[in-house]
Amino acid sequence: MTRPLRAECALELKTLVRQPGFWVPTVLFPAMLYAFFGAQSAGDWAANAMAAFAVYAVLGVGFFQFGVSVAQDRESPFANWQQTLPGHAGNQWIARVLASLVFVTVAVALVVALAFVLGRVEVGAAALVRLAFVCLIASFTATFMGIALGSLASARAAVPLANLIFLPLAYLGGLWVPPMALPSAVNAVSQWTPTRAMGELGWAAIAGTRWDPGYLAVLLGWTVISVAVVVVAHARHRRHE
Amino acid sequence: MPQARFNDPVRALGLAKRFGTVRAVSRIDLNVAPGEALGLLGPNGAGKSTTLSMLTGLRAPDAGEILIFGHRAGSPQARALTGATPQLVGFPDQLSPREILGYAAARYRVRARIDKLAACFGLERIVDRRVAGFSGGEMRRLALALAFVGEPRLVFLDEPTTGLDGAAQEGFQEVARDFVAKGGSLVLTSHHWDEIEAVCDSITLVDRGETVLEGRIGDIRKRASVSRLTFSLPPETVPPEWMQAVHDGARWHSECADSDKTLRRMVHEALPFHGLTVAPLDLKDVINRIRREETGP
Repeated sequence: MTRPLRAECALELKTLVRQPGFWVPTVLFPAMLYAFFGAQSAGDWAANAMAAFAVYAVLGVGFFQFGVSVAQDRESPFANWQQTLPGHAGNQWIARVLASLVFVTVAVALVVALAFVLGRVEVGAAALVRLAFVCLIASFTATFMGIALGSLASARAAVPLANLIFLPLAYLGGLWVPPMALPSAVNAVSQWTPTRAMGELGWAAIAGTRWDPGYLAVLLGWTVISVAVVVVAHARHRRHE
Repeated sequence: MPQARFNDPVRALGLAKRFGTVRAVSRIDLNVAPGEALGLLGPNGAGKSTTLSMLTGLRAPDAGEILIFGHRAGSPQARALTGATPQLVGFPDQLSPREILGYAAARYRVRARIDKLAACFGLERIVDRRVAGFSGGEMRRLALALAFVGEPRLVFLDEPTTGLDGAAQEGFQEVARDFVAKGGSLVLTSHHWDEIEAVCDSITLVDRGETVLEGRIGDIRKRASVSRLTFSLPPETVPPEWMQAVHDGARWHSECADSDKTLRRMVHEALPFHGLTVAPLDLKDVINRIRREETGP
């Protein structure tokens, strides 16, 4: 790790860690929702509910927190000043993604730990490793979607807008209610959501079955669209500023 | 004026920038030589901040060209050689000055001489405290230290001493003069004319987005070598018409090109003045006078 990248990571992590008001609710929220709505699932779906809320945790941290912080940063004079410093702006993005991964890991670990404590799931270590890998992939998509949102929305609009997208996506993706319990019309839409794709990959990880290339493609599609939005938005900001 | 060179710290020609239908900057030229301190002056809304943001590469000009040491403004090479003060809002206030300065030093890849900087800018007592709760003056001193932390050869300072107490202002002026004496270049905006005189050797005056006056302060003073006579008169007495004196409610003021001649004539005409002082015109008044003469009646 180069010195500027180390400094960037330290700045990002220290700033976040010293705001317990930010990260404690952020990492606790998915575990709390799991305790209320996921932990009741019994039998076959019990482990899948754990996976669903693990994916939900990824989305919450990656998409929600990221989107909002990017939007706020765009309007922050300090972030402007950082652009006048030497070095690659890429380091700042890497540091952000790494910091995001730290909090994602904690949030996911809490969901999994709670599932085991409540004694409802029986999955092996191999399944957990596979699930962790799915969460890693999902956090890239979620993070890019967050950056796309933050690049388009103003700081004030970012929070309500993120809620407006994030909560329906969680529902549509079958993360709260199992997909088979969704009305058929909703289920049809569900197939195209990134959350459903993340969920399906998570459930495949638990079951140890093959990953459906269709869902991988959906995930890739959302990532590509998000990156395109980010690129266009940044080009537009440069022209208008 | 000496010939501008390609790799001068700042060479900006014909800058223009508009925001929607508002023309913030329409024709600004700037040149800064090594070891030169330039004061960028102008009323609010004249285009100073927009100009600074183009010089630091944060905004791209719509027209014109900026070279920083021969590199495009905002290019990696230009950024490595320049330092700038951040604005005072939006600091990550969970961090301490030591941490923020250390971060900036890492971005510049220079050794972090934080204790030395803290001593220069009066940060010793707050260097390990978190920024949250800093006063305006403390934030300003941190912002100044951040402009210098990367050992730059060119520094942009936006309103460097607004909100600083007298001792801190003098401390800053000392650091700035020392920096320039060692070959560094400075561009600063300020509303304090005495500060511009104390630190800068040349000025560029902008108004409504255009450069309206530029030059070395010494030359500008020579162009209008005018003195101001200030004196009191007994009540009911007025100075003669030829002096064109104005009364400010307490004392009379008269501007003249040759103060010796004026004084002799005042004595000759037995004007009963007392408490007389003669002083060179303030830079601000010199500039106003030059601009009046240029735009003319």
